[in-house]
Amino acid sequence: MNGPSKPFLNLDRRRFLQGVSLAGAAGLVGMPFGRAFAAEPEKPKEIIVRAWGGSWVDSLKKGVSDPFTEATGIAVRHDLTEDNEIQPKVWAAVAQKRVPPIHINWDTTTNATKSALRGVTEDLSDLSNLAGVTELAKPVGLDGYPIVNTYGYVYVLAYRPSAFPNGAPKSWKDLLDPKFKGRIALYNDGIGFHFPAQVAGGGKLEDIPGNMQPAWDFIAKIKEQEPLLGEDPDFTAWFQKGEIDAACTISTNAREAKANGVDIAWTVPEEGAKYDTDGLWIPKGLPENELYWAKQYINFAITKDAQQVWLDGLGLPGVVPGVNPPADLVGDPSYPTTEADFKKLIRISSKVQVEHESEWFGKFKEIMQG
Amino acid sequence: MRPSRTSYPLSYPLSWRLMDALEAVAAAIWPRSFSAAVPWLMLLPAVVLVGLLVLGLWDMADGSFRTLDTATFLPSDDYSLANYDRAFSEKLFFTVASRSLIGSLIVTVVTLVFAFPYSYVMVRTRSAALRKFLLIALFLPFFIGQVVRAYGWLIILGSQGMVNEALGLVGVAPIRLLYNYPAVLFGLVQYMLPFAVLMLAPALTAIPEEMESAAGSLGANWVRTFIHVVLPLAKPGFIGAGLVVLTLSLTDFAIPAILGGGSQDFIANAIYDQFFRTSDQGMGATLALLLVAVGSIMVGVVFALFGAGTLAMGRSK
Repeated sequence: MNGPSKPFLNLDRRRFLQGVSLAGAAGLVGMPFGRAFAAEPEKPKEIIVRAWGGSWVDSLKKGVSDPFTEATGIAVRHDLTEDNEIQPKVWAAVAQKRVPPIHINWDTTTNATKSALRGVTEDLSDLSNLAGVTELAKPVGLDGYPIVNTYGYVYVLAYRPSAFPNGAPKSWKDLLDPKFKGRIALYNDGIGFHFPAQVAGGGKLEDIPGNMQPAWDFIAKIKEQEPLLGEDPDFTAWFQKGEIDAACTISTNAREAKANGVDIAWTVPEEGAKYDTDGLWIPKGLPENELYWAKQYINFAITKDAQQVWLDGLGLPGVVPGVNPPADLVGDPSYPTTEADFKKLIRISSKVQVEHESEWFGKFKEIMQG
Repeated sequence: MRPSRTSYPLSYPLSWRLMDALEAVAAAIWPRSFSAAVPWLMLLPAVVLVGLLVLGLWDMADGSFRTLDTATFLPSDDYSLANYDRAFSEKLFFTVASRSLIGSLIVTVVTLVFAFPYSYVMVRTRSAALRKFLLIALFLPFFIGQVVRAYGWLIILGSQGMVNEALGLVGVAPIRLLYNYPAVLFGLVQYMLPFAVLMLAPALTAIPEEMESAAGSLGANWVRTFIHVVLPLAKPGFIGAGLVVLTLSLTDFAIPAILGGGSQDFIANAIYDQFFRTSDQGMGATLALLLVAVGSIMVGVVFALFGAGTLAMGRSK
């Protein structure tokens, strides 16, 4: 397993700036990076990065924030406000031409796409390290880089092995077994489950978003199983407290539960599992110097060294070639690396998701609240 | 020659001079002729607060007539009734609204039933120790937030919680006590009980004990005394407590969210979803305004039928 290597943590200022500024000045479109040759903009005392809590923020701190502070002297404060809750605050700040409450938003690509469509995101096309990232870093269906995707993740079927004595569940339909009544969990907005449900319900992915009826039919069957509906921390708690035997959740949460001593495993069923991305973006309205350093933070987050440590903690595949998977995830379906791995996964463009999210959310809620 | 008004004898204490000076400054700022306006001045902070609330509601009302454009995630420039049409036609909102309304009514009735004997014993007991114990038991939950209390129920009622462990001792297999409608109602009753007791207690205190003694001496047993004397005289307390519990239950967010397992949403949860999950602030504003309207109508109906109870502050109207 690749932990934080000593030389990396001892990253000196020269190496850091070499990585994030000079390469950009040397090559890319971005005229702003011409400033790298001139005097650095004034450093703010701190920059604020919105993040998810638990192992998510711990990993970010270890892999990105701490080395960034070490190299620049700029403190990084993590704001753990929920991504859904910071969004209207940022939108309001931009609309009212106020300085936004955060410098960087670590966000789901779907949520970030909404902000990009609304026009509250800074363009990040001039980040020098974008030259070395994979196609995954580019948000689909948007011009430029209003968001930089930083890794992908899979909504796996996490399960308690003792509840599946015949081995890992092969299909999402296995959750319809009467013995799992009241013992399964989904996200409370249905995220991660719509697309595999479309396949499990006998539909085709090509029919999304035009005809999602098979998905709704399958979700209605799942409703009969009286699933619990929650958020990331709920799944870990429910597994720990013996409330559930299976859940559709991000592999990181399952891995965290396992690290906490919960007997848990995960799989990608035959219908496939949703594959999505998270990213980093900067809201409009920051003072010039703070914008500059916020960009440097994101630029650093997409270096191989930062990704290696950050994503080791999350157990997720990044956007920089050559990042090694953690030892426990080599060959794991939740850590896709090969063409064959990706064939098992379902990826729908963020734009389609954003345009139909409200409608899908309403339909899912209607079934689950009925 | 008369001494000037500002020349004091040496014995005149300094504090008096200071008070005179302050009075002079106060008179310059707020002349005595303005004294009739003093009560209104004292009311000003409350008026400002209510005014801000009204401004917020006005802003929400404006937003409720604008639909979300999912191509730009901006509210429409045009006004329409589309959000209200959705609110009245979509099954989800009907389900959640009826659950909230029925739930708040059940919670109100059950809470009042539990709160009355508690208040009665607290008010009538001759034992100071018991009264103190009941008061402490009443106020303790106020120091523990609603969310923490709800999480406490997760520990007690969970599949591996204390209740199921106790049931296990007598050979009963674990049963699902949480994440259903009864669990939400139970949590709400527990949360609302102190509010109801605090509203009922003053009304019961106002009933002279001699009235009950007189009924007894005229031959009424305790049941008849209770029905014909105590209950009618406690009516203002029941109305006040009922209104507080009803409105708080109707608008509650945390208990349905935590004890409902995600499938027992109340209106407040649906409003949250619109504001924060689907980013549809217009729809969220619509639901919020409808909630305010429904709550106000319910309160208005109670006022019209039964009066304002203790909330009338002793006035007949």
